[in-house]
Amino acid sequence: MRRFIFLLSLVLTTGAWGADSVRSAFVMRWNLDWQVAGGLPEKVLLLSLQGLANRAAPQLYIVHPPEYQWEITGPLFSFYERKHGVKFTELATTEEALTRFAGSGKGYVVWDPAVAATMNVAFTIAGLEDALVVTPALIPLVEKHGLKPIDDLRGRYNGQTDAQIYTDAVARYWARCTHDAIMLLGGHVGAVRMPGMADWGVRQKMFFHDLSANPRHPEELALEQKLFSQLTPGATVFGWHSYGKDTEEQHTTLLSSYGLKMEGLHNLPNLSFNCQFSFTPGFKFTNTHHVARAAQLTAEAKVYLAFVQSDSIGIGVWTKPGRGKLPFAWQVTMNWTKFSPAALEYFHESATPNDYFIGGLSGPGYMYPNHIPADRFPLLMKEARELMAVLDEHILEIMDNSAADGNAGNADLTKETVDRYYATFPDVLGFINGYGPARTRDLRDTRPLLSYEYYIDPRRPRAEVSADLNELIALNATRPYFLLVHVRESNDVNSLVEIVKQLDGPVEVVPLDVFLKLAARNKTYTTRYQDPADPKHFKGYR
Amino acid sequence: MTHRFRRLLFVLLVITGLPAQAEPASLLAGRWRLDPARSTALDGWTAWDLVIAVDGSRVSLRHDMQWRATKRSVTNTVDTAAPSVVPDFFRVEQRHMALYPAKGGTTAVRAAWLDAGRTLRVEADTPIEISQGQATLRLYLEYRLVEGDGSLVLIELHRTRPQPLVYRFTRVIEAK
Repeated sequence: MRRFIFLLSLVLTTGAWGADSVRSAFVMRWNLDWQVAGGLPEKVLLLSLQGLANRAAPQLYIVHPPEYQWEITGPLFSFYERKHGVKFTELATTEEALTRFAGSGKGYVVWDPAVAATMNVAFTIAGLEDALVVTPALIPLVEKHGLKPIDDLRGRYNGQTDAQIYTDAVARYWARCTHDAIMLLGGHVGAVRMPGMADWGVRQKMFFHDLSANPRHPEELALEQKLFSQLTPGATVFGWHSYGKDTEEQHTTLLSSYGLKMEGLHNLPNLSFNCQFSFTPGFKFTNTHHVARAAQLTAEAKVYLAFVQSDSIGIGVWTKPGRGKLPFAWQVTMNWTKFSPAALEYFHESATPNDYFIGGLSGPGYMYPNHIPADRFPLLMKEARELMAVLDEHILEIMDNSAADGNAGNADLTKETVDRYYATFPDVLGFINGYGPARTRDLRDTRPLLSYEYYIDPRRPRAEVSADLNELIALNATRPYFLLVHVRESNDVNSLVEIVKQLDGPVEVVPLDVFLKLAARNKTYTTRYQDPADPKHFKGYR
Repeated sequence: MTHRFRRLLFVLLVITGLPAQAEPASLLAGRWRLDPARSTALDGWTAWDLVIAVDGSRVSLRHDMQWRATKRSVTNTVDTAAPSVVPDFFRVEQRHMALYPAKGGTTAVRAAWLDAGRTLRVEADTPIEISQGQATLRLYLEYRLVEGDGSLVLIELHRTRPQPLVYRFTRVIEAK
């Protein structure tokens, strides 16, 4: 029932504001000061305000500097003006924002910057009680706007561990929070914190935490497992893991083992605003396919190279120089059709003929498929197929770093996992796998599954990248050779153009759909799955 | 020491040649730490200590590697007196390339002292797993003691790579 209400609320809000609904909203322009001892307290207050102000209608949008990890807030702001007719009024200060929106809150809750977890507890309370989240120093400001105290966390959790604090918070608040989603508000720790996604959690009445998935923290892990086990099947974990407690690999492994989806990062902004706009009337995703599903291509005796960028488009190469000069595949965060459709439409609108969209990551959200329970796999992948259909995508990207250490190490799929994908996605052109390089490969009927042969670290000197690729070309001497390359987020396409010029032999950069079609016809690669004897950096929880 | 005795000692040294070779070779022994700023960029490793030990004609090359939380310590032992076959030969690979040591593979290794024992040359033909199956990577490595004996340069050539990999190490003086 709770899931139905959650979905209903999304349906009712998403799509409420089409292009013909000329409306007004407010915008704030933020700086990059997220210091706990500097700009963070005011931003926390404003994030809670944004979540409440955007409950009933999209009223407050934040534009971040281009250097912010999510660099699309500026272009998306212009998109709302241009395509949705939103007339924005600028709010220059927190005072102005409170003057306009303080009425969205019923009071305030005080958190203690000296006890970091109280910020998350306060955000949970904010969603449930319609409270603004303040530090003691900001109390006079909100009281000036007529707000009264609802709760005060000062002193309540002094000297307690995070496990103790969140255990208490679970007892007090969890039952009233949505169980269709949960907010893992981790990320940066220490002097800088960046809870840019908090508006979304406040709006949707989520439980906030930054519990550890690291087995070295058994109490926190046990509590998180309890929470995950009580979420509705297929629920979404928003946010990101704590950089100070565990790893991305551990957390994604854990949530995948409960059949949950990850949607990050912790600093992804404006979802409380973005979720309330649908695609503009008449808009339909039409991907730039270069080859028909049933086509048969014949590979020549050369090296075929395809570039792919994942990491979500919004933090990627998209706005960097040179896009459009080379065929490039972009892994789309498919869930944004629900939470941020305007962003997807913006990307689609600004795509060049060389930009090709693919689905991912592993399913309807970020998850590690080797750990998805067998009984949860079909329903999750049904959702993925539906999203891919909406987005006109024919290729699925898979990633399982559960046994890897960051972007190096074992990123392979078990045969059982590969079998499941082949059974569940009969209509795709094929699959790609990995983040760093991997060695899972297969070809069944006309659908290849190929892993990345190379990962371009943006810090690696370009001459070394060229030499690396030339070495792969020299060692894989049979032609055609299918060289799939993953481009890490902050690379730029111009530098890739220069790298391609340095490659030896007949080399052709082709769109990913052409690449897979060629690979389907001439299998010069071996079939391989994860070998149980291969080293695993992290062996999982079971 | 008389003049006659000095001459006799000199003749003996020239005849045997032992001190002239053994002394520099032993200078390579010890722990050497990669100086990333003066080396070819490593990919997929953040730290590398090379620990060299010499025992007669056998030279052990231990690699203490680190990447984030991953630590590996692997030793290749080579013989300067005769070619050898080394199981699980360790290669400091660029870890973002899909090249892997072939499972169960053995590597033919030849090693020799050069430059009066100031350079160790290692040649290896090592089997690697590639996406098309298996290939042999032919490696040529020179471990060169640099003037002053406080630095070591490793020059690595691959048959399949158009440019050398050059790593510079600094001697680590370990506390006793």
